[in-house]
Order: sequence, then structure tokens, then C-alpha cells
Amino acid sequence: MLDTPATDYTWNSAADIGSAVASGRASAQSVIEATFARIRARDPLLNSFTALTEARALAQAQALDRAHTEGKRLGPLAGVPFAVKNLFDIAGLPTIAGSKINRDAPPATRDATLIERLQAAGAVLVGALNMGEYAYDFTGENIHDGPSRNPHDLKRMTGGSSGGSAAAVAGGLVPLALGSDTNGSIRVPASLCGLFGLKATYGRLSRARTFPFVASLDHVGPLARSARDLALAYDAMKGFDPEDPVCADRVAEPIEPLLDRGTEGLRIAVAGGYFKCKTAEACYAVDRVAAALGANRDIELPQVDRARSAAFVITAAEGSSLHLDRLRRRAGDYDPAVRDRLIAGALAPASLLIKAQKFRRWYQTEVLKLFTEVDAILAPATPCTAPLIGQQMFTLGDAEMPVRANLGLYTQPISFIGLPVVAVPLPLEPLPTAVQIIAAPWREDVALRLAHMLEMKGVVAAPRPQL
Amino acid sequence: MKRKAARKPKPPKSRRPIPVAKMPAAKKRVKPVAKKSAGKGAKMGAKKTGAAAVSRPDAIDLLITAGTEALRLPLDPAWYGGVKFNLGLIMRLAALVDDFPLPDDAEPGPVFHA
Repeated sequence: MLDTPATDYTWNSAADIGSAVASGRASAQSVIEATFARIRARDPLLNSFTALTEARALAQAQALDRAHTEGKRLGPLAGVPFAVKNLFDIAGLPTIAGSKINRDAPPATRDATLIERLQAAGAVLVGALNMGEYAYDFTGENIHDGPSRNPHDLKRMTGGSSGGSAAAVAGGLVPLALGSDTNGSIRVPASLCGLFGLKATYGRLSRARTFPFVASLDHVGPLARSARDLALAYDAMKGFDPEDPVCADRVAEPIEPLLDRGTEGLRIAVAGGYFKCKTAEACYAVDRVAAALGANRDIELPQVDRARSAAFVITAAEGSSLHLDRLRRRAGDYDPAVRDRLIAGALAPASLLIKAQKFRRWYQTEVLKLFTEVDAILAPATPCTAPLIGQQMFTLGDAEMPVRANLGLYTQPISFIGLPVVAVPLPLEPLPTAVQIIAAPWREDVALRLAHMLEMKGVVAAPRPQL
Repeated sequence: MKRKAARKPKPPKSRRPIPVAKMPAAKKRVKPVAKKSAGKGAKMGAKKTGAAAVSRPDAIDLLITAGTEALRLPLDPAWYGGVKFNLGLIMRLAALVDDFPLPDDAEPGPVFHA
């Protein structure tokens, strides 16, 4: 049942909306009209959207309602409004990827694969979302569009680079958004804004027609306010896509029907060593999740500081190669913080890049051995709760360090080897934080099952901000 | 290793409205996160001749000058400090990887499939 008045839908889950529209208890048009009204009312505070797709959204909603009237069966996400980080192609719009430069690009001629797949399940695209320039960002700040703002405290960062995606979902504008995650860009904003975020296995979800950042590390995935919504979106989006050369051609069973299996037969450990939390909120979050899941052992990943270093080098070097021509032509049009890092990355010797890639294989082999002993590993998602917008440095333990580079401290060594992760939010006061549930490659089902179980126990939840 | 018992959790009060757990008191400070040591790999006999064992203090400056010229990259003097900081960081982190002993037949992470 929808738990809000029929004209609101602000905090309804995608699952509830989809079920209500598919059964005729709500019309898709009323859901989508309410969504745009909400965006117009709240987004001036959150700054999460950079473009709205109102005409096509209303047309699609009306088509869904007509289909229902004609007795056609609607998909599980029927009438569910969703929005995408503005590095996803949306037909008719330039794919700006958070930049000034790409605003001059011609409009995309076709939607990204994941948009097409969500729409095929009935979901309705309502717009494009703010992000850190070219995804080289952990803060959610953007020099061209302004920062996306954390719905739990508008003075604070959303985290990035999928900052608009997190602000829009946490702020109740949409129940579902897509982001990308190269080093933590789904999991960091999920943590700072108190959301569920899924970074699936590298190669699981198609990146076709998205603007890349670091091809060998790029992932895309959903953010939502429940594990079930992540599973529904994942089920709708998974599957081979020949248009993404990395996308794996392997069977993926639907996960949503498996969610209620709980911890049955699963061995769960907490990442120690490098991942030992440094702040009270991160420690509390990990301890709370570990206790609820009965995770009674620690496990140490090998050489994690080197893994993070290698991810840093690969990101800098590969990311820079993508931008060489643009740097030559329009260096002055970049966010200076991005430009300086890209120029520096372009100067990194190729021999060190290859060495980092070789280390990556070694690290992957060693970490995968751990999954013969455990099925899931828990780790903090971020070292702290949301810093203030514009904050340059933060203190962790005894060390003062740059915010921008270190918000991904705990996410970077995991995406480095493409492991599937669900970030689960702890609704702490005054600000939320999240824990990563890390599974073996292709076992998104394990991470999502555990996330759902924690949610059913009331341990994790996406908090509702007062806006 | 057996995990220590978690601190007493403070369960959320109810599910609607969404519960808000109280924060525990701040813990005592612990060691810095970013370790500068070469780590375990170095103890395993890795050479200390990594990339960041930069031989001259101005090596990064030389690399920036030569690299931007060779690649035809613009470099406004106002950007120099930021580029130098970031390249220095990349080289320091790359050294940590470079110092790690890998066999000659180590395959890179992404492998091309024809």
C-alpha cells in the first residue's frame, strides 16, 4: 500500500509505486506530475537536477496508463520516476558529464542502455542529475553547476561524484537514481546521504552510452532508499550488452525473489587492518551491522594501501588519456582541481601504469582466496560523515588529510578489483553513514540479501530529512 | 582472528517515521590512516629503487616541463603548483606499487580478449 496521500508519493518506494501503478491503484500520470511538482519545490535547495525531461516523462506515463486501461500487463517498475547522473546519454540532450566543455557537444541520439532497460520495466525518466566534473570527484561539488547539497544538512556535501543522484533520492525527489562508481562514486554519496547503493561486479551492468572516466575501473549502478528497490532496478538492468565491450555474457538470476533468504548459510567477516575505522560513527556503524549479521571474525585483505595507490595511479593515468585532446584545446574550461590532476596524470610514466595494472591482478588473486573462507566482508563506506561544502581538509585519527582525495579511502581498494558491493545506510544523528557489504564477484545476490535482512531488522534505513 | 564483541548497539526506535539512532561518544584517536611505509611488500625483499625514489629534488619539475612540452599540453604558470602537487602525489603512490615484487609473468589487470 502507498503510505502517503494519493497525490504525494514522496517517500514511497519504487516497489510500492510500481505495484500501485501496475494494479491501477495509482495512475502513472499522477505519480509523474507529483514528481515534477516536488522537484520544482525542493530542488532549488538541493541543486540535484541539471535537466528535466518533463515532456517525454508525461508522454510515457500516459502511455503506461493507456496500456493498463487496455488490460496490458505492466512491468515491476511501472510509473516509477527515476533520474540519472548527467554522464548517461539521454536522447535529445548533450551528455555534459558535469563539465562546461561537453555542453557544446551535440545532443545524444539514443538513451544509455540502462535507461532503456529501466524504461522497458516501466520506469519513467524525469531528468539528469548534477555530478562532479567528469566524475573525478568524491565531494559532489561542481564549479559550473554549483554543489549538490546534502538533504540532511544543506551546508554539507553529498559526496561524489554521483552527488545529484544521492541528493535527489535522499531528498525524496525520486525513489531511484543511477550513478557511476569508478573509485567509490556511488558508495561515498550513499554513505554521506544515508542511502542504499549498489556497485555491481565490474562488467555486470552495461556502461554503453555513458561518458567514461577510467575504462578499466568504471562501473554504473543504482541508488535507492531500500534494498528491494536496488534489487528491482538491478534485475531490470542486468544482462549482456554487446555495446559495452566489458559487459559480461553470463547468466544472472533475478535477485528480488531471493531477498528474504537472510543469512542462511552465509559466512560473514569484518575487514580489519587498513579498514579499521578511525571515527566513532564509522566504528559504530560497522559494529552494529556486524552484530546484527553475527559476523564474529575479522579478516585482513592483503596490501590494501598498495591497492589504493595502484587505483590512484591508474585513475590518474587512464583518466588523463581520455582528456588529452580536450586539455590541449580547452584547459581553461575545466574545474581547476580536475584540470591539475588530469595534467599531472598525463605525465605519469606508462611503465608505472602497467605496473599498477599488474599489481591489480596480483591483489585480485589474493583477495579472491579470502572468499573461499567467507561469503561477505563488511567495511566502512566512508571514514566520516558528510564534511561541509568547500571543506578542504579533515582529521582522521591523528592525521589531517585532504577531503577530496580521502573520502574514498575505503571504497577505492574494493572497486579496484571489481567486487560487488552494497552500501547500507545507518540513520545516525546528526548525519548518516554507511557500511559496505562486499561479496565475491558476480554474487550481488549475497550483498543484497544481507542488506535486505538488515533493513527488515531495522538496523539500516534511509533516514528522511526535514526539508 | 576472533572478533571482539561489538559495542552495545542502540536500536532504532521504530520503523515509521524512519528511526534515528543516537551517536556514541567519540572514541579516542588512533593512528593515521594513510601509512607512508612501504608495508609488507618491502619486508618481503622488494627493491628500494621505486619510481618515487626520485633521484633529484627537481625531478618532478623536469618531468613537468619535458612532459607538457612533449605532449603539447598547455601549462599556465598559475596551474603549476597544483600540477606539481598532484604529480608528486602520483609518483609517491606509484612508488609504493613499484616497490612491490611481482613475477615477470604477472599479467596486467585488464586483459584484451580477441
